[in-house]
Amino acid sequence: MTAILLDKVQLTLTSRAGPVAILKDMDLSIDAGETVGIVGPSGSGKSSLLMVAAGLERASAGRVVVAGEDITDTSEDERAAVRARAIGIVFQSFHLMPTMTARENVALPLELTSAPDALARADAALADVGLSHRGEHFPAEMSGGEQQRVAIARAIVGAPRILFADEPTGNLDQKTGQEVMDLLMRLASERGTTLVLVTHDPLLAGRCRRRITLGDGRIVADERKPPA
Amino acid sequence: MTAAKFARLGKLALRDLRGNLRSFWVFLACLALGVTTLTGVGTVADAVRASLDSNGRMLLGGDVAVSRMHLRASPQERRWLEAKGQISEIATLRAMARKPGAEALGASALAEVKAVDALYPLTGRLSTEDGADTAGLLHQGPNAVVDRLLGERLGLGIGDRLTLGDGEVVIRGFTGREPDKLAGQAAFGPRVLISLDTLTATGLAKPGSLTRWTYRLLIPGGERLGAPELEGVRKEVRAAFPDAGFGVSDRRDPAPGARRAVDRLGQFLTLVGLTTLLIGGAGVANAVASYLDKKRRTIAVFRALGASSRDILSIYITEILLLAVLGIVAGLVLGPVVTLTGNALFGHLLPFPLVVQIEATTLVAAAAYGLLVALLFTLWPIGRTEEVSAALLFRDEVNTGKRRPRWPFATAMLAALALIGAIAFFTAEDRRLALYFIGGLSVLFAVFLGLGAAVPWLARRLPAPRRPELRLARNNLGGPGSLARQAMLSLGTGLSLLVAIALVDRSLVSELKGGLPERAPSYFFLDIGKDELAPLTAMLAGSGKGATVETAPMLRGRLVSLEGVPVEEIEAPPEAEWVLTGDRGLTFSEDPPASSKIMEGAWWPKGHQGEPLVSFDIELARALELEVGDAVTVNVLGRNVTAKIANLRTVDWDRLAINFVMIFSPNTLEKAPYNVLATLSYPTPQPIAEEAKLVQRVSTQFPSITAIRVKDAIEAIGGVLAQVMTAIRATASITLLAGALVLAGAMATAERRRIYEAVLLKTLGARRRQVLLTHLIEYVTLAGIAGVVAAGLGTLAAWIITRQVMEIAFAYSIWSVLGALGLAGALVLGFGLIGSWRVLSERPVPYLRAE
Repeated sequence: MTAILLDKVQLTLTSRAGPVAILKDMDLSIDAGETVGIVGPSGSGKSSLLMVAAGLERASAGRVVVAGEDITDTSEDERAAVRARAIGIVFQSFHLMPTMTARENVALPLELTSAPDALARADAALADVGLSHRGEHFPAEMSGGEQQRVAIARAIVGAPRILFADEPTGNLDQKTGQEVMDLLMRLASERGTTLVLVTHDPLLAGRCRRRITLGDGRIVADERKPPA
Repeated sequence: MTAAKFARLGKLALRDLRGNLRSFWVFLACLALGVTTLTGVGTVADAVRASLDSNGRMLLGGDVAVSRMHLRASPQERRWLEAKGQISEIATLRAMARKPGAEALGASALAEVKAVDALYPLTGRLSTEDGADTAGLLHQGPNAVVDRLLGERLGLGIGDRLTLGDGEVVIRGFTGREPDKLAGQAAFGPRVLISLDTLTATGLAKPGSLTRWTYRLLIPGGERLGAPELEGVRKEVRAAFPDAGFGVSDRRDPAPGARRAVDRLGQFLTLVGLTTLLIGGAGVANAVASYLDKKRRTIAVFRALGASSRDILSIYITEILLLAVLGIVAGLVLGPVVTLTGNALFGHLLPFPLVVQIEATTLVAAAAYGLLVALLFTLWPIGRTEEVSAALLFRDEVNTGKRRPRWPFATAMLAALALIGAIAFFTAEDRRLALYFIGGLSVLFAVFLGLGAAVPWLARRLPAPRRPELRLARNNLGGPGSLARQAMLSLGTGLSLLVAIALVDRSLVSELKGGLPERAPSYFFLDIGKDELAPLTAMLAGSGKGATVETAPMLRGRLVSLEGVPVEEIEAPPEAEWVLTGDRGLTFSEDPPASSKIMEGAWWPKGHQGEPLVSFDIELARALELEVGDAVTVNVLGRNVTAKIANLRTVDWDRLAINFVMIFSPNTLEKAPYNVLATLSYPTPQPIAEEAKLVQRVSTQFPSITAIRVKDAIEAIGGVLAQVMTAIRATASITLLAGALVLAGAMATAERRRIYEAVLLKTLGARRRQVLLTHLIEYVTLAGIAGVVAAGLGTLAAWIITRQVMEIAFAYSIWSVLGALGLAGALVLGFGLIGSWRVLSERPVPYLRAE
C-alpha cells in the first residue's frame, strides 16, 4: 500500500528575482511502513519535499496523495485535518508551544480533534520517550534533547501512519542526537509507521531502508537496502 | 565620564539605533499624543486667559465698573465719577418682550434688556449681524437691536415693532458683536438693546424693580494703569461712598466667572492630559522592553567586546532619551498647531478674539511631564539589560530569568513618579481637586496593574478546560507573553475615567432636568408691583387645577460686612464665597418659611419692632463662622442696614422654591420700595399650550412683570453644562486613543509569537476556525475583565464625586456602563482580530525552518 504518492509535483516560489523552481516534476512513491532517508546538499529541495508531502506547502502543479487522501486541491483546513488524522512531524528546532507544559504539548494534537482521552494518551507517549517525570515542565525548563523527545512524543501520540522528521538531530550534540535517532527508529518500527527523515547526514540516512538523494529539485538517486 | 567618551557612546547609540526607528512608532506616538494633549489644553487655557487680560478693557466696557441694583447713581455720585474720567451709564434687567397687539400663543418671550447711554460703548464697537455700527441708531428714537433668536421666537423681523413694558420699540437690527457681552450675569433670554430714554418710556425701571445700574469709567491713560493703581481706584470708590452699596470691578478681571471657569476646566483637562500620557507610558514601556529584548544578542556582543555595564546602560539610556525628546518635541509642536487650527475654525464662536500666544511655562510643564513619564516607564526595562551576559552568544537561553533591576533604577522610578505628582499638585489652581485626581488615578493604576498580574496568575491556576480552544486561550492568558497586563493598563484606566465622566454628566443632567423636585414651581414671576399682587395672584391661582402661588417681597442688596469686618477682607471657604460677592436677594417675613426648620435661636414675634433681626441659612452661617447674635450689614438701595442674627435655619435649595439666604424681620425693610416675587406650581404638569396662554395673559395685563419658565432656565444652564461636558469628554476620549495605541503596540509585539503559535497549531492539524476561536476567547476575556472592572471603578468614582464632592443625587445609567464594555470589546476585538487575520494569513514554512 502506498503511503505517499507524488505525481509530477512542482513547487515554484516567487522571490524578488522572479519565480524560483524548488521542486521540478518530482515523481515519488513511498510504501506504507517504509523508512526513507532523504539527503542532498543545501537548497536541493529536501525540506520543501517534506513540506509538500505533509501538506504544509501547496504544490504548484502535480498531484499529492498522502495516507490514501488526495490533498492536491484541498483547502488549508482540509489539509490540516489530514495532518491531524494521519501525520506526525518532528522539527530540527523542536517547535514546542512555550506556554504549555510537556504533557499539554503532547496532548495538543489529540485535543484539536477532540479526542476524549488526550491527556492519558499523552502520558503514555511521554512514557514511550522516557519523559514521564517531566510532564509538568515547560519547554524552557528542559534541555534540547528532552525538548526533542517531547516533540517526538507529540508527533506519535495520535498514532500517525506517517512520521516526518526534518533534521531531528540538527540542534543536538552527537550523543543526544544518537539517542533521539534510536528512539525515532524504534518507535517507527514498533508501530509500523512510515518514516520520512530529511537529513544532510549520510550516516543517519543510512539507518533507513531506502535512501533518496535530491539535487536541484530532482531525485538523482533512489537506493534500497536489501532486506536484512 | 569624559566628554570624549560621552560623545563616543552617543555615536554608538545612534549607530545601534540605525534602522530600528520602526519598532518605536508606538513609543513615539504615545509620548507625542500625551504631550500634544497637554500643550493643546495648556495653550487654549493660556490663550483664553491672555485674551481676557488683553481685552479686559473692552470686555468690561471701561477700566473700572461700578454697579448697584435698584438705584441709579445720585447726581453727587455721578459728579464724583465724572471727575475720574469718561463715564457711560447702562441699565440691565429682565423683561417680557411681546409682539404688539397679538394675543396668540408664543407672542411674548423673556428678554435680557440692556439700556445704554449715548457714550456706550466706551471701548469696542457695537455692531449688527451684517457689521453695521449700531450704537448711534439706538438714540434716534425708540429703537432696539435684538438677538436674532428673539426675532425668531416672536416672528418679528427688522422694522417690526416690539412691546416692552408700557412702551413700544422698533427693531432696527439683529445683534452681531456686543463687546461687553461677557461682563454680565448668566443670561436666560436673548438680548434687547435700547437707549436709557427708551427704557424710561417703557416704565420698566420703576423703584424696586430688579434693574442693575452700571457705570463704566474710562480713565485717561487708563490702559497704562497697573494693578496697584486700579486697586487704588476701587478703594477710592469704596472710601468715597462707603454706604452706597456699589460693587466695583476693574478691567483686570472683566469676567471673574469666565476666568474661574477657564482656570478650573484648564486644570482638570491638564490632569486628564496627564492621564493620557501615563496610559501611553504602558506603550512606551512595552516598546522599550521588546526592543531591548530583541537587542539581547547585540548587548551580549557589546559585553564580549569588553563594554562595561555602565557603557551599555549609557548607550541605551541615550537611545531612549533621544527618542523621548523626538516624541516630546513632536507633541510640543502639535499641541499649539491644534490650538491654532481650532481657533481658525471655531474662533468666531467666542465672544472675543482669541490671542493664541504660547507660554513658556506651558511648554516646559508638558515637556517635563513627557520626560518624567518616559523615564518612569523605561527605567525598568533598561535596568534589566544589566543581566544580559556574553555567555548568551554561546548557548541558548534556558530561562530569561526576568530579574528585577538593581535598586538605583527602582529609586529613580520612584523619584520620577514623585516629581510627576509634585508638579501636578503644586501647579494646580485647586489643589484639592488635584489631590483627588492624583489619588483616584493612583488607585486606578494600582488596580489595573494588579489585575494585569492577577489575570495570568488566575489563568495558570484555572483547572485545564477540556476544549482545546479554551485550554489554548487559557495558556495564552497565563503564559509568559500574556497580553493581560498591557490590555488592563491600556484600557482599564481610560475606560474608568470615561465611565466616571459619563455618569457624573448623567447625574448633573438628571439633577437639572429629570431630577426636578416634585413640588418645584413651573414659573417664577419677577417685579410684581405691590398693587399688582392681588390681581396677579388671583389670575395665577385660577390658571389650572390645584395651582398654588407663593409670594415673597424681594429686594436685592449686597453683604457689606459680617460682625463689622468688611466682606472684602473675609476669606470664605469656596462653597460660601458666592454669598459675599455680588447681589443677594433679600426678603422679610413675619413667619418662618414652611420648608425651613429653625435650628438655633428663635423666630421673631409678630409685629416685632426695635432692633432689626435676620434669619440666616445655617450651612452658610457655619461656613462663614456666624453665630446667633452676630451683626450682619447689607446694603439695600444705597443704604447700609445692620441686623442681628436672630436664628439659623435650614434651607432646602434643591426644591427650587423661593429661598433666601437672609430673611429679615419686616420692620427692617418693609418701608423700602420693593417688588414681589411669586412662584406658580401645579400638582401635575400642565399642557404647554395652557402655560403659554397664561404667560401671554400675564404679560399683556401686567407688562412690567417678568415670567421665567423654570424648565427654560434649567435648560439654559444645561446647555452651558453640555458644552463643558463635551470638552471634558473629548479630552477624556484621547486617553482611550492612548490606550488603543498601547494595545496596538502590545499586539504588534505579540504578533511574531502568535504567528508562530498559529503555524504550529496548523501544523498539528488545527483548523483556522479553531485558531480564531482561541484568539476570540482570549480577547473577549480580556475586554470583559477590563470593561467590567472599569465600569465598576468608574461607577464608584462617579458615586464619590456626585455624592461626596458635588452633593447631588447619583444617577446610574446602564448605557454609560454598556458603552464602556462595548468600547473595550470593540477595541480589543478590533485590534485583536486584525492581528489574527494577519497571523492566519502568514505562510507557515518560513517559521518552521531551522534558524
